[in-house]
Amino acid sequence: MADTDNYQHIGKNFVPPDVVGKVTGRAKYTADMSVDGMLYARMYVSPIPHGRVTHLDLSESLALDGVFGALTADDVSPANSADRTILTNEPMYVGEPIFAIAAVDERTAENAIALARITIEPLPFEVDPLSSLQAGGANAHSGGNIYVGGQEGGLKELKWSEQELQNFINQQAMPDEAINEWHYGSLEQGFADASVVIEEPFVTSGYAHMCMEPRSTLAYWQNGKCIVYGSTQSQSFVLPYLAGMLGIELKDLVYIGENCGGGFGSKIGPYPSMAIPVFLSKKIGRAVMLRVTREEEYYIGTARVGFQGRVKIGFKSDGSVSAVDLFIVQDIGSHSGGGDASSAGGAISILYQPQAMRFRGVPVLTNTTPRGAQRGPGQNQIAAVMGPIMDVAARQLNMDRVEIRRINAPDSDSRIGGKQGPVTSAYMKQALDLGARMFDWDKKRAEKTASTTHKVIGLGIGQGYHSAGAKGFDGLVRLTPDGKIHLHSGVGNLGTYSYASTTRSAAEVLKCSWENCVLEYGSSEASLPWSSYQAGSNTSFTHSRANYAAASNALEKIKQIAAMVLGGTSAEYDVARERVFNISTPSKSMSYAQVAQKAIDLGGEYSGASYPDDIHPVTQIAVQQIAGSGLIGVAKDKLPQEGTVPGLAVCYMQIELDTETGKYEILDHVAIAECGTVVHPQGLYNQMSGGAVWGIGLAGYERHAYDSQNGLPANVGFYQCKPPTYLDTPLEIKVGAVDIADPQSPYGIRGIGEPAMGCASAALMSALSDALDGQLFNQSPVTADMIINLVRGELDAENTSGVAFNPQMKAHSF
Amino acid sequence: MSAFDVMSDTELYQPVTVEDAVVLASRLAENAWLVAGGQDTYGWLKDRAKNTQAMIELSRIPELSGIKRSASGIEIGATTTLTEIANSKLIQQLIPLLGEAAQHVASPQIRNVGSIAGNIAQDTRCWYYRRGLSCYRAGGNLCYADTPEGMNREHCLFGASRCVAVSPSDTAPALVALGATIVIADSSGNHTIAAEDFFVGPDIDITRMNILKPGQIIVSIHIPADPEINVRHYFEKVADRNVWDFALVNIAVSLEMQAGKITKARFVCAGVDCKPYRLKEVERYCENKAAGSETAEGAARLAAKGAVPLNHNHFKIALMQNLVRRALRG
Amino acid sequence: MDIVNYKQDVWGREVLLGVSWDLLWLILMFAFLFIAVHAIILSRGERTELPSSEGARLVRHLMADRLFHWILAASVIVLIVTGVLPVMGIKFSWLTLHWIAGLVMTAAVVFHIVRSLFFKDLSLMRIQAADLDDPFDDAKKSGKYSLAQKGIHWAMTVLVLAVIATGLLLFSLMTTPWWSRDNWMSETNLGWTFVVHGLSTLGLVGLISLHIYFSLRPEKRFYTRSMLKGWISSDEHKSNHDTDLWLPQQETERVRESD
Repeated sequence: MADTDNYQHIGKNFVPPDVVGKVTGRAKYTADMSVDGMLYARMYVSPIPHGRVTHLDLSESLALDGVFGALTADDVSPANSADRTILTNEPMYVGEPIFAIAAVDERTAENAIALARITIEPLPFEVDPLSSLQAGGANAHSGGNIYVGGQEGGLKELKWSEQELQNFINQQAMPDEAINEWHYGSLEQGFADASVVIEEPFVTSGYAHMCMEPRSTLAYWQNGKCIVYGSTQSQSFVLPYLAGMLGIELKDLVYIGENCGGGFGSKIGPYPSMAIPVFLSKKIGRAVMLRVTREEEYYIGTARVGFQGRVKIGFKSDGSVSAVDLFIVQDIGSHSGGGDASSAGGAISILYQPQAMRFRGVPVLTNTTPRGAQRGPGQNQIAAVMGPIMDVAARQLNMDRVEIRRINAPDSDSRIGGKQGPVTSAYMKQALDLGARMFDWDKKRAEKTASTTHKVIGLGIGQGYHSAGAKGFDGLVRLTPDGKIHLHSGVGNLGTYSYASTTRSAAEVLKCSWENCVLEYGSSEASLPWSSYQAGSNTSFTHSRANYAAASNALEKIKQIAAMVLGGTSAEYDVARERVFNISTPSKSMSYAQVAQKAIDLGGEYSGASYPDDIHPVTQIAVQQIAGSGLIGVAKDKLPQEGTVPGLAVCYMQIELDTETGKYEILDHVAIAECGTVVHPQGLYNQMSGGAVWGIGLAGYERHAYDSQNGLPANVGFYQCKPPTYLDTPLEIKVGAVDIADPQSPYGIRGIGEPAMGCASAALMSALSDALDGQLFNQSPVTADMIINLVRGELDAENTSGVAFNPQMKAHSF
Repeated sequence: MSAFDVMSDTELYQPVTVEDAVVLASRLAENAWLVAGGQDTYGWLKDRAKNTQAMIELSRIPELSGIKRSASGIEIGATTTLTEIANSKLIQQLIPLLGEAAQHVASPQIRNVGSIAGNIAQDTRCWYYRRGLSCYRAGGNLCYADTPEGMNREHCLFGASRCVAVSPSDTAPALVALGATIVIADSSGNHTIAAEDFFVGPDIDITRMNILKPGQIIVSIHIPADPEINVRHYFEKVADRNVWDFALVNIAVSLEMQAGKITKARFVCAGVDCKPYRLKEVERYCENKAAGSETAEGAARLAAKGAVPLNHNHFKIALMQNLVRRALRG
Repeated sequence: MDIVNYKQDVWGREVLLGVSWDLLWLILMFAFLFIAVHAIILSRGERTELPSSEGARLVRHLMADRLFHWILAASVIVLIVTGVLPVMGIKFSWLTLHWIAGLVMTAAVVFHIVRSLFFKDLSLMRIQAADLDDPFDDAKKSGKYSLAQKGIHWAMTVLVLAVIATGLLLFSLMTTPWWSRDNWMSETNLGWTFVVHGLSTLGLVGLISLHIYFSLRPEKRFYTRSMLKGWISSDEHKSNHDTDLWLPQQETERVRESD
């Protein structure tokens, strides 16, 4: 166990400063903001899945009383690739914004939109990747149906022969041609070593991010500066990219993203619609608010990538995985994006440590909503696929289902991905064991008997992984003469409280009370350092380090000032209770307030008048803003770091399934985090619980449904998209943590966000399969109708149960 | 077409007596939209998928709200909320079926404002129609759901006639099973109609779900209840989610029992037809039989007789059969 | 008043929806006005003695043709009632009746076309140059069919073929006992199909109103009887037809049997 007893802050609960506002409703989100003379913008979005605007006449719209201006695709930079654009004349999906109108209120703006005369010439479209790969299938984009990343990349066309397609669908052979590929070891040898080989197809549905707060933006210009209020997961990370999108200098941009009502991967950085009110505001000369509606959020809010794939796995007689051959056709929606498939391969490589592995992927464009990262992009889809497949292997090898996972579980010597790089540390076995104990696996397994009624028990185990850390970002702390310790967090407030919990490292270094700490966050005007994106489960690791670095810099300066004022060398000083004191003569001491005043007097690097030249321009601007206001501790994280930082999680689930209705109740749910030292227990509990709910959604509820004849999305509202509700989730989620410090983090901290979800998806899929005598659905989500169909042994005309892989079993089918 | 989110201009009338409401409804006729809880109103109007010149708010009329004992049963005012119905001791005592059904509607927030009349008179949830497409039901000339590509998992097994939408209500099948009557007011006075006859299929009127005409207002619902008669009630709703979801299929069953035998049975499902669907073959089969596994099996076989499934809703057949089985098995 | 209605297609583009049913009232009004004016004018004219129905009976319509006519008439009436009454606000379950009647009508029309082309003298129905004098020469008598009758027949032919062709297209877009529906037709073409179906229906409503009116007029009633019983009297023949142009057979046992 990580030894957090000696820590003042690490491993202890605290109340982040935004909590009260969140629970009382006083917290302000972008849509709550108001500026004098503010106009409201509304967008006209494409009604057609793919087309070309051949005529647009806004004269009547603009003539309407109260209308101040419009923005069209011609006013913004044109699209020259598969990237998403701000506005477009060639909409690629139903819901893509074409023009926007600003008026005194939204009603007037919508009335003006209703007066617009627009002609859109339809172009060929496709909502299913396999249909697009089929010879004669339409290309989603005029330039092709495949998006290839990298410098040589771009839009390409890929078609499969009928034979190749049928082979893929009917599990005869995997296609020869893939777009992305990596491998290690000898597959041939791996499968030769295997005593059990399992080959299964799978389909995982794409689905929306479902942010509670739609991505609204308020923008205005003041004294040459552009002020933008937005809803993003990240704070400082947004700045250079938003400035780039707007074509302005970093120093001329003020970005305020104090609260984010959910991003889930869809609001990592700036997104195209943020530019609409900015450009409208510039054109009109008044502040413009764009409140994105719930329906629009489903269009432009991006979605998870869907998979249609096949996996072949070899197991040795001892249960260890000898080879994995993975092929994934991924639905990347209408625009570039979605590295999910390769990440899925990476997750398999670490979670099951195959002796040899090959990953191949084909990213196919479809005329559906754009895709982007969604919590565990790739890792969590494949977790749901792999959960029940591992159970099949255990059954065939006559092994305990926990045991087969233990045998393959990664440890600190494990390797990951095609390059087989190292990990910083990993304790999956310990996580599996802790979970088994908390869940009482052995007892539950022993008690599970064949049911004679329609109520059947299913036990599931799931594992989740995501890389959980980065390096090289900046930290910034400041001591002021009023005795306060300002912890500047450039981390976005995406709802995980990591913007606050990562600053606990700084407080720990400075040995100060939390009550005297002031968290500076949520606005670039609060002088915030350059920060990583708030995604990829990385913040806890990354910014615990950055804060540690900045606080260490401050600590050194504090000691230097003490040495200057009180005599001796800095090495003779230490800090405690917000004082710096001479170790041998503790009475020789200064308060932080006095140190701060002295730093101002000294100037130079002490007051921030000068700063290291390796810090990011965003941090430089931040330091310039606060220079002279106290003692500045600022540093880039240059602590040693090598290898992938893994976030790992395990879930055990017991369900009672009613085979007559296809409904089930989750009776027991244990979630275990393997994320190094637990920095914030309450935060971890929230992460694991939230992840569990979301994982239940992936496995049991949420999916895109598109009408393939017209390219229309069926679900563009909360009730249609069906995120799980309070009564669909367990009454209690038991959370545990392995809590072993990671050696590459000053306090042993790693991230955990994404695997918290993947393990729950996998556990539910595993439990459903277990309840139904090991039958596989090969599809997520598994909904009530699929269970009923499976039980009655009949398939719908379009085979919605997914028992067999069928050409009609499209990712968008109900 | 665009993703509208703000209502067009509309006039709001807030009568406080039924008489005034009827006068207004009669005068404004098809130009008015009746609203009580608003749960099936604002979605339409904000999306501008439907528009109205005027709204008549009925929730300020005291006499339209409340639950009381009548000579022959229970009388429920039209704007009584679903929460009030679910929590009513009187209903729990005499007609628990309706209380159960009301308890399963949507979510607590929606039940707190949603009215019983609104729940039974609500429009279908076919997503094509709700999207504002000009389908048959919206006065157009085709159906987008009943096609090989149609996403019709939630659509009908029975009563399709160009349109394949279903009744989404949880309380409507309960009222039909209970033999309720609905009192409708218009300028010519009050009219009473059996709940079963209140609903209309697309074969007769493809643009409406019930017989309410412009100018008419639901005033109250009467449910016969005789404590002397031994009745058994059963309600079950199967939806994807347990909160805030519409039934894939629900079932409301009322069995009159005498000496252990079923003397009169009513089985009604929603989610399978454009109107609450009575399982008449099941009802006939059950009469003079004891409720139990044997009857349940026989009845289940008849449950979905005549069903014509669409591409994605075959499961509803098995679900109907299972729900009948469960209702009789107890 | 609009002639056609429009709607938005699945992608929000304006397409034809169908005929404006306001036209129905217009057609009915015109038909009523025509009938009223015609009836008034004729009632003011000199009353002539109607030819006697006694005497020799001459064959005008064989049983097969009479059967065709009445099957067609019944199906058209059912089609109009089931197609038009719901539009007028009288709601009932009409669609199944409508398409069954439509199929009956189609079969009857196919039968009639085959019979007319291969087993009957189609020239009797051909409009000749000489027929064009009919309206201007009271003394002139026609062959088997007057210009008005030929005109009505051919107008009916066009309308019925149009309504059948569009009806069959629409039928193909319905779920029937033999197939499940799909939206194979573009919404633009669907709109046109509905427009043609509606316009031909309206035409038929007008034409049939006139046809029924004339069939009930005293001086024409013998034609109605002939459509029921097959014959006209020799007097009726002489007063209305040019015997050179049309000399029907006397009704004999053989003829009766052959019916």
